[in-house]
Amino acid sequence: MISKYPKKKLTRIFFQVVFLVVFFWLLIRTGAAATETFKYSDYFFYFDPLLLIINLFSTHTIINLFLLSLIPLALTMVFGRFFCGWVCPMGTIHHFFSWLFRRGEKKAEEVEHKLMKLKYVILTLILIMALFGTNIGGWLDPFSILTRSTSIAVSPSANYLIEETFKEGAEESGIIAKGLKPAYEFSKKNILPNKPRKYLQSVFIGIIFFLLIAANFYKRRFFCNYLCPLGALYGLFSRFSLLNLDVDKGSCKKCNVCSSDCTYNGSPYQDYMKSECMVCYNCEDSCPPDSINTKFRFPVKGSVNKIDLGRRRITGSLISGIFFASLPRIAGTSKSRTHNFERPPGSVSEVDFLDRCIRCGECMQACPTNFIQPALFEAGIDGLWTPILEPLTGYCEYECNRCTLVCPTNAIETLSLEDKKNFKIGIAVVVKDRCYTYADGYNCAVCEEHCPVPDKAIRFREVDVWNFEGKLVKVKQIYVVPDLCIGCGICENVCPRADAPGIVNSAEEEQREFDY
Amino acid sequence: MKRREFIKTSVAITATAGISGLPLLSSGGVDPVSKVTGESPYGITKKGVELIGGMKKFISKQDIVMIKPNIGWNRKVEHAANTNPEVLKAVIEMAFDAGAKKVIVMDNSCHKSEDTYRRSGIKEAVEKSGAEIRFSDENRLVVHPFNGEKLKKWPVFRDHLEVDKFINVPILKHHSSSGLTIGMKNLYGILGGRRGKLHRNMGENIADLANGFKTDLTIVDAYRILTKNGPVGGRLSDVELKKTVICSKNIFEADVVAVDLFGKNIDEIPFIDAGFRRGMGQKDISKINIKTFVI
Repeated sequence: MISKYPKKKLTRIFFQVVFLVVFFWLLIRTGAAATETFKYSDYFFYFDPLLLIINLFSTHTIINLFLLSLIPLALTMVFGRFFCGWVCPMGTIHHFFSWLFRRGEKKAEEVEHKLMKLKYVILTLILIMALFGTNIGGWLDPFSILTRSTSIAVSPSANYLIEETFKEGAEESGIIAKGLKPAYEFSKKNILPNKPRKYLQSVFIGIIFFLLIAANFYKRRFFCNYLCPLGALYGLFSRFSLLNLDVDKGSCKKCNVCSSDCTYNGSPYQDYMKSECMVCYNCEDSCPPDSINTKFRFPVKGSVNKIDLGRRRITGSLISGIFFASLPRIAGTSKSRTHNFERPPGSVSEVDFLDRCIRCGECMQACPTNFIQPALFEAGIDGLWTPILEPLTGYCEYECNRCTLVCPTNAIETLSLEDKKNFKIGIAVVVKDRCYTYADGYNCAVCEEHCPVPDKAIRFREVDVWNFEGKLVKVKQIYVVPDLCIGCGICENVCPRADAPGIVNSAEEEQREFDY
Repeated sequence: MKRREFIKTSVAITATAGISGLPLLSSGGVDPVSKVTGESPYGITKKGVELIGGMKKFISKQDIVMIKPNIGWNRKVEHAANTNPEVLKAVIEMAFDAGAKKVIVMDNSCHKSEDTYRRSGIKEAVEKSGAEIRFSDENRLVVHPFNGEKLKKWPVFRDHLEVDKFINVPILKHHSSSGLTIGMKNLYGILGGRRGKLHRNMGENIADLANGFKTDLTIVDAYRILTKNGPVGGRLSDVELKKTVICSKNIFEADVVAVDLFGKNIDEIPFIDAGFRRGMGQKDISKINIKTFVI
């Protein structure tokens, strides 16, 4: 049905692909463990005005780099929601799947007017909660979702599947595996980590991402149209944009072709919703009589349908936002004195941390040893998916400060390598019921061997111990020097005890402030 | 009894006799140990191998050669936690000169291997020399029978079993639980799995490991040695320059000479005693055929 060469549409797709590639290139580069000269890899976040506002509300400060997000916001006043249609990698992924699920179909879909308002309610909620000190913006911010889902679920899953396909012995049975072996070896050398990453929340985060993708079956770009708070924010600004859609009522044949491909499921020829339009140019490029055209002009009052939230919805979301914001604060889970999780080196005090962290998972992606994991409820309910350190899966590499370089919101502040080496994220504690040198009475010392502190935070003292054979023997028992220990967790990670480690790390004596 | 079996049995008997102290030909007298001191790690390595017969004695044409250095720790060369890249460079060159078809360098690091390979300087040196640097891939583990007294079997990366020749290039350094880490302890790097479990009765396990796995040549890098806080180190004041390389076909005797060089008493090191009981060679340094050379 395309009556002419869809020039604008193809330009749009070109830009979408470019931004998508750049986004994933930066993300993969963040995760590739073999990069010695490690630089910032999170530029996309700085172009997210939602994060600028949320963090302004929750921390009352502005990180200078986030002022870059005023650029897309200003451009929105000119071009409308071009960001959603042309730039946002999360949007592009949904766009792709919406297209994939509808190949060959040309059917107009109905706008879900009520559902459309949901994203504005979400935006209001997030902003109000941020204002009252509970920052949950990262749960729904598109960049956070995409970065988190990719680093925690999608890319480890791809890595696992690749390893399963190419692992020793598999290539003998599979022709594909055999043929692609060189490609595998190349990526193994350049991109894939030597040991595939493991994340304790991969199921949870992966299923959510899967559902978001699957929702595109129901409506085109479901997330963008109905859930995305950033989209809502741009929607508010795009009302005033200079780029407008004009329908020539005279030549329009009401053939409905434009509706069959509208990104927001609308019918541009009869109810052009400016705040929802993502400037995808599908309608303009596909209109058979060429009746739809975009023009730069000041918007005429009443010429476009706009979303009206209604007083009740606004008041409702305001009040519930205030109420919700207070709940985690009084739950006392996240900000109480007792806690047994460690935060990455350079983390600010726990209150500030929760205010700043957008749960994007950049630090988890950057951590070469797989030490940083998304929390479930360890850090309180509002600490969901914030980074905590898990010695089961990794340890803090002494000669590494990568996580401190990538945090977009400075929840983890940048540390030089020397500063990081001295940053106390916690301390190791010997569990005497389990440590072999205490409980069973024989020499072990794997933890002592691995302790990276040059002056040795784990040491021996030779004592007489009744061993497991009932004999009095001399054993080199380990002990921790609290002043030297930085809590890097390698001792717990390498402890040979299989059931539960004989030495554990906790945030006891951590350098940052916790209680307030 | 077939001829081959007969020879095997008689060799075993002779070896047993050797251990029990009879003045018979034990393996100790057969393989010389070279000990070369000099300014250049590269030069002393070449000289060391030359003194024990040259690389051609150990490597045949078209051999695939595995070189197993110590790349355990994310430390720089001056911290003396990993094998000196210059030493490795010399070994790789000699292997190629002797006609090796392919040379692989590989270890199972304790720290993150991407980091250790790079920071140790070994990745760069190996790639420049034209050898292949390889990570230990857990998909390639196979259970290998060591049939020792304590260590019966353990998962080993099959890369080490699939090569023609195995050259062990450890660094000499202090090791908190085994006393010292030299050639025999360096073989931990072929193992996968929860290696820390082997720290119980470590001396016996090391001896079983080295006794149950065939190494063709051992080159001990004692250019810089870590005298304290091993194996990880990290303090420059714990590093001492010995500027020496020790080479031998016999891994045990290379270790004995290295223990002596380090300045420790042989009896302090449990795995030396355990290895001696298994008949791996002479532990009395005066009975070892040492060829010393100073450049």
